[in-house]
Amino acid sequence: MTKNKNVIEVEGRVVECLRSAMFTVELDNGHQVLAHISGKIRKHYIKIMLEDRVLVELPPYDLARGRIVFRYRN
Amino acid sequence: MNTKPFTSGPGENAVMITRVADRQWHALDDDLVVGRAHAQHRPDGRLFVSIDAWHDATFDRLAEAMLAQLPSPLYTVVDEADAALTSGWRRAGFTVRRREWEYTVPTDPQVTGLGAVRPPADVTIVPAGQADEALLRAVDRAIRDEVEASVGWQSMPAEVISFPEGDTIVDPSKYAVAAAPDRYLGLIRVVTAKRPRIGLLAVRASDQRRGIARALLAHALESLHRSGAAAAWTEVQESNRAATALFGNSGAQPISSNLELVR
Repeated sequence: MTKNKNVIEVEGRVVECLRSAMFTVELDNGHQVLAHISGKIRKHYIKIMLEDRVLVELPPYDLARGRIVFRYRN
Repeated sequence: MNTKPFTSGPGENAVMITRVADRQWHALDDDLVVGRAHAQHRPDGRLFVSIDAWHDATFDRLAEAMLAQLPSPLYTVVDEADAALTSGWRRAGFTVRRREWEYTVPTDPQVTGLGAVRPPADVTIVPAGQADEALLRAVDRAIRDEVEASVGWQSMPAEVISFPEGDTIVDPSKYAVAAAPDRYLGLIRVVTAKRPRIGLLAVRASDQRRGIARALLAHALESLHRSGAAAAWTEVQESNRAATALFGNSGAQPISSNLELVR
């Protein structure tokens, strides 16, 4: 079993829906990342829309990118 | 369960693929999770997989490990605009099984051209919230049985959710129906969260090609227009020519497409 997930997850808000299934997400610290959606979200047909509050996972080496792993209910 | 880490070979980076649960794999780089793979059965029994990885090489390694340990056929869903993800699955041997278009549907009768549409003479449209629940469940069950007896309803996004056995109507108030004197003939479900979504539009096989679906759609869109919604959205399978024509002739515009892939 993996003992240490070691992933960076940050909450934010979708501020732009882009082509190529990408989104601009403004994180709570004001930083913006270019994010795509996770496979689990895609599998469950969960739609991400403008203004949605989301949880974004950031890669360990590139904090300008992200992956939306959860959409909060408003 | 195989929890033994492995690498593809010497000389490559130190990413290790580990099966961390029955249907879950992690790619680890120096104890950091740099990729995940996941498999899950849908209520219809099909096994769907997904992979999240920051790099193509990690995606390929996860796919190799996961696919070697799962039975075929396997399915996945991608946004067709996501070229990188789609090509990753193609590299893993997946091919397109079906395409589903997402449409935005205007509600203004001046735009849809549905303002003058009426149901057939012996049919009335019962607005959402006023349908008899027993008759509603009966028509829903009958249509589902008809579909399952032919092509099946595997393509329905809503079928991803597992409901209690036999219960396919979560909220009867979301359905408008087309009613004959003795039974319901068709139904349309519109749910509004942030934007209205037409989640289901269906008519009994014996009553198709009578304009009932068109009348249901006209009713639903007019109701949304009166409530101030400028547009709804829906998904239509590309091979469903009747639905494609219905929405296409009502001013609906495709805005994106999903691919269901199979291997």
